[in-house]
Amino acid sequence: MILNDTLKARWFWYSMACVLCWGGWAMLSKLGSREIPPETMQFLFTVGTIPVCVVLLVARRFRMERSPKGISYGVLNGVLSGVGGLALFAAYHTNSNTSLVTSATALYPMVTVALAVLILRERLRPVQAVGLVFAALAIVIFSM
Amino acid sequence: MHVPPWLPYAVITLVSWGVVGLLQKLSTNYISAESSLIWLVVGFLLLEPLLYPGGALFHYSGWNLAWALLSGVLNALGAWALFAALKNGGKASIVAPLTALYPLVVIILVPFILHETITKLQVVGVVCALIAVILLSA
Repeated sequence: MILNDTLKARWFWYSMACVLCWGGWAMLSKLGSREIPPETMQFLFTVGTIPVCVVLLVARRFRMERSPKGISYGVLNGVLSGVGGLALFAAYHTNSNTSLVTSATALYPMVTVALAVLILRERLRPVQAVGLVFAALAIVIFSM
Repeated sequence: MHVPPWLPYAVITLVSWGVVGLLQKLSTNYISAESSLIWLVVGFLLLEPLLYPGGALFHYSGWNLAWALLSGVLNALGAWALFAALKNGGKASIVAPLTALYPLVVIILVPFILHETITKLQVVGVVCALIAVILLSA
């Protein structure tokens, strides 16, 4: 019953689309990185994001909130994401194991959770604590 | 201990994307997730002059250039699909862990496309990592 409702829900299929797109993004990042160095990969990656951004802007009829704080965080996020992307392409470029690099870099929520506790003073929930233990285990195994 | 050459890079990715995760929470206090994606791409564009490869671009194979461009398209589309899931009744506590499972797509495809193998211990590591992202994004 619950499964049936889930399979009919639009949010579920959007989530699946997200997983497939991001899986494709990681796979293609690796394929390109076999030959192309990280700086050029990040350069081309960014060019690839532009058309989606334009379609999104048109779909929103160019409506944008004018919040200087929101905009500053957004742009800063772009610069930081770009740096992270650059390092990801560098990791793929080292001729390393694709599954390990992809799973290790997907662990970034561990840093978000840790920072939310340290900076935003959010409480660490038990489920997150267990998550951190598994993340630590994974990283130890990957570095062996 | 032998540190694999990719690990230091992966740590840079973890830290920068981890900070982005935190700032994303803060930015969506002020603007919608979709607007924040647009400003994120503006941030990407700020880096472009530093990354511009010049004529070297034409030395790479056409396929690999296509994969690089398409990786950007898919990444942005994925983010858009995530926002659409949240707008269409998806609870963040379910949608976030579900979408964090994207490495699974890679793990399933790798044996067919790249002919790489991993040891049994590394399989345990991958499983731990997948459990971790589910729990951490819940």
